[in-house]
Formats: sequence, C-alpha cells, structure tokens
Amino acid sequence: MRTELLAPAGNLEKAKIALIYGADAVYIGGKQFSLRARASNFDLETIKELVDFAHDLNKKVYITMNIVFHDDDIQGLDEYLLYLDSINVDAIICSSMIVIERAKILSNLEIHLSTQFSVTNSLLTNYFYDEGIKRVVLARELSLLEIEKVKENSKADLEIFIHGGMCVSYSGRCTLSNYTVLRDANRGGCAHTCRWLYDLYEDGILLSDNHDFQMSSKDLQATDYVQDLLRIGVSSLKIEGRMKSIHYIATVVSAYRMLIDDYYNNSLRDMSFYQNEINKAENRQTSYGFFAGDTTIEQQLYNQRSEVPTKEFVGIVKEYDNNSKTLYLEQRNYFSPGDTLEVFTPNKNIVQFKVEKIFDEENNELDAARHPLQTVVVKLPVSVPKYSIIRRVKDE
Amino acid sequence: MRVVARLKNFMEIEKLINLGVDVFLVDTPLAVKQINGELFSDLDKIITYEKEVYLLINKMIHETDLEMLEMILNKANNDKITGIVCGDMTVMVMAKKLGLENKIIYQPGTMNTSSFDNEYFHRKAIKGITISKEITLEEITNIFKNKVTEISLIGHGYLDMFYSKRGLLSNYFIYKGVDYNNIKNNDKFRLKEEMRPDSLYPIFEDDGGTHIFRDKALESFNELDVLKQYLDDFFVERIFIDDQEYYDSLLAYKTSTYMNEFLDKYKDKYNKGFYYQYTEKIKGELNEN
Repeated sequence: MRTELLAPAGNLEKAKIALIYGADAVYIGGKQFSLRARASNFDLETIKELVDFAHDLNKKVYITMNIVFHDDDIQGLDEYLLYLDSINVDAIICSSMIVIERAKILSNLEIHLSTQFSVTNSLLTNYFYDEGIKRVVLARELSLLEIEKVKENSKADLEIFIHGGMCVSYSGRCTLSNYTVLRDANRGGCAHTCRWLYDLYEDGILLSDNHDFQMSSKDLQATDYVQDLLRIGVSSLKIEGRMKSIHYIATVVSAYRMLIDDYYNNSLRDMSFYQNEINKAENRQTSYGFFAGDTTIEQQLYNQRSEVPTKEFVGIVKEYDNNSKTLYLEQRNYFSPGDTLEVFTPNKNIVQFKVEKIFDEENNELDAARHPLQTVVVKLPVSVPKYSIIRRVKDE
Repeated sequence: MRVVARLKNFMEIEKLINLGVDVFLVDTPLAVKQINGELFSDLDKIITYEKEVYLLINKMIHETDLEMLEMILNKANNDKITGIVCGDMTVMVMAKKLGLENKIIYQPGTMNTSSFDNEYFHRKAIKGITISKEITLEEITNIFKNKVTEISLIGHGYLDMFYSKRGLLSNYFIYKGVDYNNIKNNDKFRLKEEMRPDSLYPIFEDDGGTHIFRDKALESFNELDVLKQYLDDFFVERIFIDDQEYYDSLLAYKTSTYMNEFLDKYKDKYNKGFYYQYTEKIKGELNEN
C-alpha cells in the first residue's frame, strides 16, 4: 500500500485546498477537544461538509481530539464521538485514555494515537495496537534508524511528521505555558513560552548576551528523508501547521505530493527542486529535526525572533471567466498594477503575468488591492481553475 | 499515606528513617534528573534496611533502551522493591511481561489529569498512578472521590515543567563558541526570561536531555490533612534543594509544629503551584513574545 500524505487544515477552505493540491487525507480540529479548538471554525455541519467533499475525491478526514482531558472536559464527549461516527469520519486522533475507551465502546471510529503521547518504541506501539489503536503517530524525537527499527517490530501503522513546527520538548510533556502565563499547553492554550528570549546564569553569574539563550526549534523539513521513509513503508507522512495559510498548505502539500509520486514512478528529481518549491511559501527556517540523530545547533534558532512573515501570497482564485478573460480573486495581501504575479494551480502548472489594472466587483478601477478578503478583478489571457494560489514574484 | 524520599547516599538512611520517611526512591540507569545514579549498583545493600524501596525509571524509553529496561526490571523482582515509578507507559508494558505490573506507579507528569485515568490504570492492575502536576486541589479531590487504585502526588519540591531530548545547554555553548565544562548534571544553571526578571527557572541537562523547572518549589503543608486522607504516596522531591533544607522539609511534614518554622526560614523559595490556580484552556490576549 502506498504511503499517505497527510496535511493540516485550520478551516474548510484550507482543507479543500490541501486535498485539491495532493493530500491523501487532512486532519482538522473541531470546536471541542482539540488543541486548536480556539482557532477552529469546524462546527459539526462543516465537518460533515468536508467529509463529504473528501470522500467524493476518495480521500480521508481525520479529527483531532488531542487535548489531555480533565474531569471538566468530558461533557459532550460521547455525543461528539457518536456524531463523528455517524458522518463517517475516517479516524480520530487522540491522546487521552478516556477518548480511546469511549470511542471503542460507542463507535466504529478508527483510532489514531496522537504524537502528544510521545510514543518512542515498538513495545508501546504494539501495546496500543492490542488496545484497538490502528495507527500511532510517533514522537518527533526519533531518528530515521529508530523509526526503521520501530517499523520492523510494530504491528500498528506508523505516522511520521515530515514538515512543520516542532515542540522543543517531548510533546505532551511540557507545562511551561501553564506555569508562566496560566494557559494549559495540553488543552490548547500553549503560549509558545519556549520561543521566548532568555538569559542563562550559572550560580548567579550571567553567561548569555542580551537574552540570546533560546530554545526555539527550526521547523522540520524532511525532503531528504522522504525516500527512506517510503522505503521503510510507514503508513503516513504528516505535515504540521493547522494555523498556516492556504498558500503555505498548497505549496508544501504540492511539493511533497510531487516528491512521493516521483519516488513511486522512479522519476525522482534532485531534492533541491522540491526544496525550492517549498521555499516559495516557507516563512521559518527549517532543518531535519531528529532524523539524523540527536539535534545540534543546526536544528536550533538563536538570537532572533523565530517567525518572519512572508508577503508573497496575494490571493486565491474564486472564478475565471473564459469569455471576458477575467480573473476574480480574493485578495489576501497587498499588490498593485505593475506587479508580476504567479498563478500556481492544483495540477502544478504555473502561469506568470503582469498586472495591468485592478478593478473591484463594481468595475471601479483601484490603485491597488489593499483590502484582505475583497474580491478584485484582473485580466488574464489564460484560463486557471478555482482554488489556484496567486503569489507575487519577488524582484531580483 | 507513605512519605517517599529520594535517596542520595547511604549515610543519610538512618536520618531519613528518623524523619518519617517510609519509602526510598532510588535512581536507576534509566532515570533522568538523577540525585545519585551510582546508588543503583548498591541496591542489594539498600534493601537490607527495613524500608520499602521504589525504583525510578522516568526517562522516555526509546527502542535502544528496551534491553536496559528489562535488566532493571529484573532487578525489581524482589519483595523489598515494592514500587517502580515510571514516566513512560512502556515500563508498564515491559513489567507486565515480567509479571511485575503490580509494582508500577505511572508518573508521567502531565497525563494523569482525570478520574478516568485512575479507572483505566486500575483495569491494568498496576500499583497506582501519580496525579499530574498542573491541576488544582479541587480537581485532585474530585479524582480522589472516584479512587479505585493507589494515588500518589509529588507534593513538595521543584517540579519540572519541560522535558526535551535536546541538549539545549550543550548546544548553546557550542553556538557561543565557548568550551564549557561541567554542563551535564550541573544543578547551578538558571534561566531568566526577558519579561520576568524576578523569576529564575532551574535548567538541568543530563544524558536524557534538558529539563526546566518552576522558579518556586511546591509545598503542601496546609493541604496535607486533605491529601493524606486519600493519598497512598506523598513524594518529596529534592533536586535543587540542599540536604539540610530537604531534611527540614521532611521534619515539617512529620511534625506539624515545625511547619511554621520551616516556612519562616524558607518561605521565599516556595509557593502553592497549581493547587489554587486554574489554567486556561484557550488562548487569550496576553503579552506573548
């Protein structure tokens, strides 16, 4: 069986984009029981809409329920599980025993164990398999050699993170945020305290300079290891980032889709090709995490704020009118006449064009597209499909 | 309720017994945040004292640790060793294979937060669970109401709030180009966050990775009467605490009249952790860096 490409989605639009751009499955959090519940707009109806959309494409939807449950979190759990089962969700991803046990009793839902549990060996994957868990998302602290060893001995399917943000601690084993800002990291309140700036002292003597002790990890980017993971035969390759933009989702999913397909078609290109594709949307420094073994300074960020927002992504195609050769797009970032834009389509085609004029929907000419979510209109001689991503080509 | 103390050396055994300690917790080669890793090789001598002995196995267990884990657990197959305190469920799985699951105390730090966790592990026939460190006294007492297996708590000392596999101190000194000796197992390092200049967080690196601790140690003197009605084990931590202060804390738990004297002497170092402080589930508009 071919290895699955699994993508994150923070809302319905991102989920559809991920599936259209090549993900075999998406994982989302609903408004309850998920570490990203605050940011979710997946109410029950929207989850159903997505499941139907994905199944029409012969693809899958997994629902994260990965908070660490306290007694006061349990209300509504049974009803939620029953609903997810009734709309044929493909699996739930969870880390608390109560979710696992209630799901087994109440439903036929497939159960995946979240990386929040930080499983690091085959003895434990097999325990959970015997407990009725089909798939285990391994801890991100495992090297490629360890993953291979676990795979050799594991009865459970294995899911491996290949891209995106990394907890610097073992996932699920951190309460920095709880203690420093009273927000429960294991119930969706993580304040990313590990990315703050610190000074280091030994016995009262300052050793650092200007808050340059940082724990922040570079994001994971595992293009160099995907071939090995496919050879090993893990079940799923997972991209992190439910909070990321649709531009990021489309670009990263598309790049890994090409890499996986090229591997299976014996037509792999040089890794720099896939890496360059990813870099078109990546806004954080990346490295290869633990794949080569224990991390070094190569995997850490020092003496800098960790996020540099990209401004390349300018919009998404809503519609193309073949008769008038007109493109309707939803604006996401500023652009103006004279800019060179690039349309990146779900089937990996790229069309570049120079913006001559910009209009609003009432045909008023605009000096720039400056309002997020505004529908603006530009001329384009080539037809492009809905959901295509539009990004600005940076000046050399 | 048994008082569980971490054993540092042989010389203090009689003293700890006199201070009311019921159980000695001994580091194993798969313990992180060790007090004295050498003691494990003298386990045969430790168990000659008429006290219960627990073994500490709180490292995250990787595939390469499994052989060592089995060796340690085989040493636990002794009547004097009545508990195996573990942070990773792998230890429970291996212990079951060896018929030792009834000694397992599952102490993951963050995962035992609900009444159901107690019920689940009761079904697994282990000795008990340690309630997680980030929940309130009200939540703890609610779990007590539904108690079906042994329940324990780390009720005193510096509690860790972060466990990374990364060597964050070692890497930092490499980044700085400084040839720094004495990094691992050095308990003198502290972190200060730029927006919280009054808080110094202990940071400790060992072969298992890097651990960061609360700036204040936890104390449970006023809560002890409630806790001891239900608790089976009360763990008294000692990392970052000097020996005299540790003995004083044990005396204060044993002799309530000494409690005020202890607090007068050490109060600036301690707080109540999360006993009365509920943590938010959702993100708010806070001063994030």
